[in-house]
Amino acid sequence: MIAKTKYIPDGKKELKELPIIHYLDAEYVYYPVTSARCPEGETCVIGGQFVKVGEIIGTRKGAFFEQPMHATVSGEVVGNEKHIDQSGKLVDCLIVKNDKKYTMHSTIVERSDEEIDQLTKEDFIKIVKDAGLVGLGGSAFPTYIKLETKDTIDVVIANGVECEPNLISDYGLMMTDPRSVIEGLIYAMKASGAKKGVIAIKKKYSVIEERLNFCLHSFSNYDIKIVKVGNYYPQGWELAMIKNALGIKIPQGELLSKYGVLNFNVSTLQSIYNAVKKRLPVLERLFTISGDGIHNKNFRARIGTLVTELIALAGGYKNPEQPKVMILGGPMMGTNIMRDDVVMTHTTTSLIVMNDNPIKEEACVHCASCVYSCPVEIQPVQIMNAYKVKDKEMLKTLEVNKCIECGLCSYVCPSKIHLTEYMRLGKRLAK
Amino acid sequence: MQTIKQTSPYVRKAVSTKRMMIDVLIALIPAVSFAIYRFGFDALIRIIVSLIVMIGLEAVAFGMMHKPAKSEKFSERLKSRYTDYTINNITAPAVSAIIFAMIIPSQLPIYAVVVGAAFGVIIVKMLFGGLGSNIFNIAAAGRIFIGLALTNMFAGAYVGIDFIAGGTALTTIRSGLLFPQALNSYSISDLFFGNIPGSMGEISALAILIGAAYLLIRKSADYRVMLSSTLTFVILMLLVGLKLYPDQAFTYVAYQLFAGGLLFGVVFMITDPVTSPVTRPGRWIYGLMVGALVVLIRLFGAYPEGFAFALLFSNMFVPLIDYPKWATNKIKPAFIIGYAVALILLGLVVFFGVGGVA
Repeated sequence: MIAKTKYIPDGKKELKELPIIHYLDAEYVYYPVTSARCPEGETCVIGGQFVKVGEIIGTRKGAFFEQPMHATVSGEVVGNEKHIDQSGKLVDCLIVKNDKKYTMHSTIVERSDEEIDQLTKEDFIKIVKDAGLVGLGGSAFPTYIKLETKDTIDVVIANGVECEPNLISDYGLMMTDPRSVIEGLIYAMKASGAKKGVIAIKKKYSVIEERLNFCLHSFSNYDIKIVKVGNYYPQGWELAMIKNALGIKIPQGELLSKYGVLNFNVSTLQSIYNAVKKRLPVLERLFTISGDGIHNKNFRARIGTLVTELIALAGGYKNPEQPKVMILGGPMMGTNIMRDDVVMTHTTTSLIVMNDNPIKEEACVHCASCVYSCPVEIQPVQIMNAYKVKDKEMLKTLEVNKCIECGLCSYVCPSKIHLTEYMRLGKRLAK
Repeated sequence: MQTIKQTSPYVRKAVSTKRMMIDVLIALIPAVSFAIYRFGFDALIRIIVSLIVMIGLEAVAFGMMHKPAKSEKFSERLKSRYTDYTINNITAPAVSAIIFAMIIPSQLPIYAVVVGAAFGVIIVKMLFGGLGSNIFNIAAAGRIFIGLALTNMFAGAYVGIDFIAGGTALTTIRSGLLFPQALNSYSISDLFFGNIPGSMGEISALAILIGAAYLLIRKSADYRVMLSSTLTFVILMLLVGLKLYPDQAFTYVAYQLFAGGLLFGVVFMITDPVTSPVTRPGRWIYGLMVGALVVLIRLFGAYPEGFAFALLFSNMFVPLIDYPKWATNKIKPAFIIGYAVALILLGLVVFFGVGGVA
């Protein structure tokens, strides 16, 4: 108990064994006009207009970038409706009535290898920007901005660690399509000028290592290595992953590119491959429904699919009379949602529904499990005490802003104190 | 379907404070059994009295500290005071009570046991806010209180090696420690297995070490404080042994280690998380402090039961060790150097204190 906790039961084994259902029968698909990173947006289609797969239907506007929206089905634009997006907020959505023919837009043509060989750094960045690619690991940070860096990049690292429990999207991708990840990595290396590529995976995934190694034989003229990192949580946090995979210790708050490193999620790399090779935007994602309050299933579904349909298809909730907690994402860092009409976006990969299990907080006994377990080495218990007396200066001294909200402090607490919530409150107060 | 609002993380590790307390109770079983085997009914009655006083008074104080709901009936008002009363309000005082019973001699009058236990739970624990809020170790404070206030009651009740190992004064170090004369009556193996007089739970090193192993395997106690204090104690005592009894230095260390309240305190008292610092370096420093103070009290002090004093004294420094301006969980070079320098300085103090080069 009084020790550093690094392992958390991940519950992935059962989920990996479930078949993946390819769901293409959505009657309507929904495209949020705004997102957490882009508070504004506009559409460039009108009601009744027919759109095709890959066609631009609007633009989301962020603070310093713009992001095109693409149709992922073919069909007719029929109007607007409000639904919940990845961040749990109600947003305006454009509705497209799916004709289920999936007709491709005329711009979607494959590039030949010769064409790709002639692409310059600027071309790559333009392709990635036009495809509207974002960090698919959950950050949704525009990928082209990462590639645009002026710093010299030595190594591009592919993050396939996926340390949160219950998430198997990256695992599924590397199992079914390792080649696209490797090719995406090569394009990212070309785009950034890096000589080396590294794919980081968990130590226990030797199956994936074999698959990747098998594919790597055909790319022997590139310097790409597979590095296995520990099965810990939060190993997928980029700084922890880079430290273990490359041995480079990057302080928090510094840009990775300053240290010659670029980090992409494996799914992002696949999307780069699709954008460069097939001129496709992100069309589909693996979506897992898990938890003890619902029938578990894996889906591959188009961006814009309503999760409600997937839940019905999976078999619905178990014991609907019991109160439930619904989470988008993983059980450690996911977003809490109050209703299930969620629209699948680029970063939606998991819905967890758990039966509510009320937790009673007890008095803190100073066991220091939270201090020992904290991956950024701050002292959650001291921050909680400082927050309780509203001591702003002390909160700053305790470096509350370093907190990455990984949730380990709440997870390990034997008194079940919700320390992570105190960290959030502390951050807000210290501002 | 009803959905509940929560914030991440949504899962918790299967650990609890209750489990931690019960682990300590389980770890105490060998020591308690040995005490009852050695001292029979005397031990049993003192343990039970201590348990009743601590758990009972905690319950009373708990009720007084919580505001009742408005109600006509007395029974309902009374009940509403105890809505937050949990199993930890029983297990935690039970741990303190048993530890307290283990560090008093078996012949101590029941009156003194009641006073000590009551002082510990009321003054030291509940007045500071109850579980998790006390600054001083409850059992140690109770023991010191009766040791100072009811000194006469210890006359006769407090026989044996603990007094001997406690030492008397600087002037009598060479003769007064009763080493190696004490070994004529009790061998090192007697000390180890507990075939000696002394405080109830402190006599059998074996029983205590079994408890320690259990605590460490269950990770219900921090090895850092245990290791740090034992290490400091052994190193300093070895220096003294080398100086005073060059031929029997290691026997001397074993004698000091197994006699008296050190081992019991190291395993069950300083590992109390409530009164420990919350960082890794902090716990090492805390252990060093306790270990060094026990040595200093034994060598140059004039009071038996040096461990409880060393512990209470170190408890006072915990907020200082934990002060956020310098407390960090990283093991920094500055800490390692500081720890080593402190150990060397203490070594010099002790070495010259017992006669040094001369």
